[in-house]
Amino acid sequence: MKLKTNTSLIIIIAAAVLLQGLSAVQYYYTRSLLADELENRAESEITAKAIIVKNALNLAENSLNGHIWDLKRNLFHPDSSYSVMELALRSHPNLTGCWVAYVPNYFPEKGRLFEPFVWWDHGEIKHAEIGAEGRDYTQNRYYKAVLASDAPLWTDLYEDIVSGLNLVTYMMPIHDGKGNLVAMFGLDMSTEQLGDTLNYRHIYPSSYNFLLTEKGQLLAGPKHIKEKKVQEMTHIISMINDSTVERSLSNSGLSTVIPFKDADGDEGLVFYANLKGKPKWKIALVCYDKEVYAQLKNMRRTIGFLMLLALLALGLIIAHYVKNNQKLQQANLQQERIGSELRIATNIQKEMLPHSFALARDDIDIFGSLTPAREVGGDLYDFFVRDEKLFFCIGDVSGKGVPSAIVMAVIHTMFRMATAHENNPSKIMQTINETACEGNESNMFVTMFIGVLDLPTGHLRYCNAGHDRPVVVGGEILAEKANIPVGLFADYKYVMEETTLADGAMLFLYTDGLTEAKNLERQQFGLNRVMAMLTDCPQNAAQLVERMKQEVQSFCRGAEQSDDLTLLAIRYEKVNREKVLEESIVLQNDVRQVKTLNAFVVQVTEQLGIEASLAKQIRLAVEEAVVNVIDYAYPAGQTGDIDVLAMSDGEWLNFVITDRGVAFDPTEKEKADTTLSAEDRPIGGMGILLVRELMDSINYERTDGKNVLTLKKKIEVKSEQ
Amino acid sequence: MDTAAAVETEEVLKPLYNSEGKDVIIDCEKLEYIASSGLRILISILKGAKAGGSRVVMKHVNDDIMTVFKLTGFVDLFEFEG
Repeated sequence: MKLKTNTSLIIIIAAAVLLQGLSAVQYYYTRSLLADELENRAESEITAKAIIVKNALNLAENSLNGHIWDLKRNLFHPDSSYSVMELALRSHPNLTGCWVAYVPNYFPEKGRLFEPFVWWDHGEIKHAEIGAEGRDYTQNRYYKAVLASDAPLWTDLYEDIVSGLNLVTYMMPIHDGKGNLVAMFGLDMSTEQLGDTLNYRHIYPSSYNFLLTEKGQLLAGPKHIKEKKVQEMTHIISMINDSTVERSLSNSGLSTVIPFKDADGDEGLVFYANLKGKPKWKIALVCYDKEVYAQLKNMRRTIGFLMLLALLALGLIIAHYVKNNQKLQQANLQQERIGSELRIATNIQKEMLPHSFALARDDIDIFGSLTPAREVGGDLYDFFVRDEKLFFCIGDVSGKGVPSAIVMAVIHTMFRMATAHENNPSKIMQTINETACEGNESNMFVTMFIGVLDLPTGHLRYCNAGHDRPVVVGGEILAEKANIPVGLFADYKYVMEETTLADGAMLFLYTDGLTEAKNLERQQFGLNRVMAMLTDCPQNAAQLVERMKQEVQSFCRGAEQSDDLTLLAIRYEKVNREKVLEESIVLQNDVRQVKTLNAFVVQVTEQLGIEASLAKQIRLAVEEAVVNVIDYAYPAGQTGDIDVLAMSDGEWLNFVITDRGVAFDPTEKEKADTTLSAEDRPIGGMGILLVRELMDSINYERTDGKNVLTLKKKIEVKSEQ
Repeated sequence: MDTAAAVETEEVLKPLYNSEGKDVIIDCEKLEYIASSGLRILISILKGAKAGGSRVVMKHVNDDIMTVFKLTGFVDLFEFEG
């Protein structure tokens, strides 16, 4: 099982690795797409905002350019320029002031330095002359630069002393009609609003724009930002200005990109580009990776989480299926094992039935058939011959299948054991019953019929324990007295019955699997059909059984066999042999009569021409048997007769020893144990042993108050002289 | 030794039941036949001998008697010569 867990674990891990790999690929692909997208958007924004800035600048420039001509015409009077300047000032909201700085001593009455100035002061336009020796604008570098280049320029950012605002100024030279420099014309523009305009909207929440002069001085940036962000911005600006800092060109080449890391460790990019034309200001956009890839990161987290859930679900499903599969496999294995065990059990059961129906006897034709409903069943039958008697039984354990099969095995063994030394069917049944009641927790009971048929005479003794009554074909139905089945009450007294089978009689036994066999319409085969079949029954036991079986099987065609089907047929043929010899003698129960007996036996064996050693064996057997009778048949002191009859048909030599003494069955005694050592051997008990060993069969019957003991020996008759 | 003979000879053979440590040798040359009563006598002799630590030897046992000895397991209990 551990292996299976590992397998599913490996599957999960492989799936996880695969999914992780795929999602990583997707992540980096998406990220690079987003990076490209960022560049595009950044550049679009920069471009758009650059235009805004340029527009603002252009406005100032155009305004200046636009009013130059007016100004040129208004240079005759010191105050004449005010109106033009005012107009220029009003032309754009970003403009804070407008001035004209005349070349020194242009208007001598105004002194050397004359600079009229108009500016916005809380919504009002004010005039003033700001030229003074203390503030010599000619020394101003920008004044000098314009003087030198004779071209307009934009100044760097400076703080206006008066207003405190951060301003840049656009100034240009004014020439008179003759081309002489007359004055500088300048417009001050506040960058505050520029900062606002720039940062009005952003592609990302924390993004911001700022404007740098050519020298890298901050012209305009986001307002109302935290100290931390100001520091950040300063840091970034210094990075831009520091030429040693690595930077790269964007894919389109329109902007420059520098990666940065702020104090908190957040990474980002700053994009910047130059404004077209003059001034060469830089416009920059700062973007944070956090925000750019925020959604990507969210997506990744979400997908990661979903993936985990999916893997978990997958894991559970796999584990479930693996477990189910395991269970299935185990169940299959178990079924296979049970199946193969049942097959073995079926064979064991088959082995318990008599192996052969050929008893090598003329007087018995026996055949049986047992078809269990399942692999193993609860029916049984058995038979064997001992001491010229046929012991047979048929039984039905309640239920079917394995439990009944087990009980059946026990009953079968008990039958064999109980019949080893007992000829009385009721006593046999008693023994079986006592054992069956012991430890019978499950209250399984067995219906049983036991019969003991004395083959020489056809005398049948039987005992029926609740079983279906056997039929003598064409004759009686046996067992008027039905005892209770075996296995219920240990102290029940079983009663035996007797009858005699005529020569050629056929005895048919069966279990209720025959009479209760059902067809598809749920009709039963029934006893009537059985009896009908028997009226026209064949003489051969095997044929009878086969025919009956075919009948019931065709009756039940299609329906499942509901119970074990058992049939047993016994045909009895009394054997009467033509007698070649028949002699008898009567003895007294005195051991001294042994001599007479031996003389008789010797005469018989000589008459039959039996070879000497064999004859001696027969003599010994007969002597032992008779001595047994002498010793036990009659009470001590009482005299009684013992008849000894010798009969032969040439093939067999039989001695029939009859006495009228007490009922005593020598065949019931167990054989002496010949393996015991000298010390352990009992003094006696060898008589019957010798009889059994020396004769081919020994048979005891109690008939009409007489003990009848029959000894048989197969002889070879020498050709008659 | 049929049963009748055994009954007769038992009294005669009784002293052999206690051989007092001496080996018992039984010459069966003339023994044609033995019944279980005779076997009983032999067993008694054997038990006595074994108790005294001595042996019982059967000599010149013929085939028929041997058959009987085999059937009864006596062949493992006694010693045989000839």
